[in-house]
Amino acid sequence: MSGTHDDGVFDDEVSFNDEVSFDDEVSFNDEVSFDDEGFDTALLEEELRQAAAILDAVPAPLRQLAVEAYTLHDLDARIAELTFDSLVDAMPVRGAAEVPRMLTFRAGEVTVDVEVSGQGLMGQVLPPQPARIEVLGGPQPGVPLSADELGRFAGDVPPSGPFALRLRTGAEVVVTEWLRA
Amino acid sequence: MRTEAVPSTAYDDLPYTRGGDVDRADLGGLVQSAADGDAAAWKALVEGLSPLVWSVVRAHRLSDADAHEVYQTVWFRFAQHLGRIREPHKAGSWLASTARNECLKVLRNLRRLTPTDDPQLLDRVSEDRTPEQSVLDLEEAAAQSERVRRLWQEFDGLGERCRQLLRVLIASPPPSYQEVSAALGIAVGSIGPMRQRCLRRLRARLEAGEAI
Repeated sequence: MSGTHDDGVFDDEVSFNDEVSFDDEVSFNDEVSFDDEGFDTALLEEELRQAAAILDAVPAPLRQLAVEAYTLHDLDARIAELTFDSLVDAMPVRGAAEVPRMLTFRAGEVTVDVEVSGQGLMGQVLPPQPARIEVLGGPQPGVPLSADELGRFAGDVPPSGPFALRLRTGAEVVVTEWLRA
Repeated sequence: MRTEAVPSTAYDDLPYTRGGDVDRADLGGLVQSAADGDAAAWKALVEGLSPLVWSVVRAHRLSDADAHEVYQTVWFRFAQHLGRIREPHKAGSWLASTARNECLKVLRNLRRLTPTDDPQLLDRVSEDRTPEQSVLDLEEAAAQSERVRRLWQEFDGLGERCRQLLRVLIASPPPSYQEVSAALGIAVGSIGPMRQRCLRRLRARLEAGEAI
């Protein structure tokens, strides 16, 4: 999508009466809502806002889920930030449809490598160490997994939708940044 | 961290005069209270900023399933980062840019999984939107429903850039231009002029329709 923001606003059929360049004279905060034709843009925008509220509002169950997400607020856990995502950082493989998604999260010296595919999820905690892992899919309790002595773990249910891993290693709790699988 | 990437701050010191300023005024305070354990503050954040997140997702024309998942991911991550957000008063921009990044990932993944670069496939219209039905449910006068339906139809038929910009601008309460900038990756200074042009174009479409 990176290219789409570079071309002009005029990306479709109608060529507008461009006699006036607005770039310099319209203040960006729209103190003046009437343009040179006496057209009240603020009014039309407000009308459109009301239409959106009627025809394309936030679905109520989604909003409720966001309210419930408050329980995901956990100051005691360290957040492992996403440092590599094959979706963003890797070259696409032409012709290979089923490429597993490779993710790397890091919190200080702890690194978590995760591979998500249609078959499930596997990964490794580094430096190698046993850990109790919970695969979270939302505010509700997640699916438990455990990492062996080498830090390796695997689960046969592929995460769908948003997911995060909560890892307990010794005394520490690390949670990976929420991502969409 | 990449989700913290908030665009240009060149205009941050300028007064913000759009309609949402009352609702946005104490964003920082609400974020702080929520981080300190105040569930009501969290709820107020969700109420106030949900429409913005939804608008960003809708502006990117994701399928309904993708739209729902991105929306959830954004709020889960916001909850997770609560109390660690560097500029709490810019929580709206944080949410908007996080939503944008996740939308772009979805679109990139679709393209990756799609052997052709057929823009139709990247531009899927959500399946279950039936504006007509929703309007019929309204108890308002038929004429007004017709006006709303037509307005939405003409809006939906705008060029992609205009549709995208307006979809974010019409979140309720109205987002600040900083938030719009974060949502779409465009410079704050270009939003006003673009908005003006897009609304003029929408008006022209409405008038053309009436003339027929």
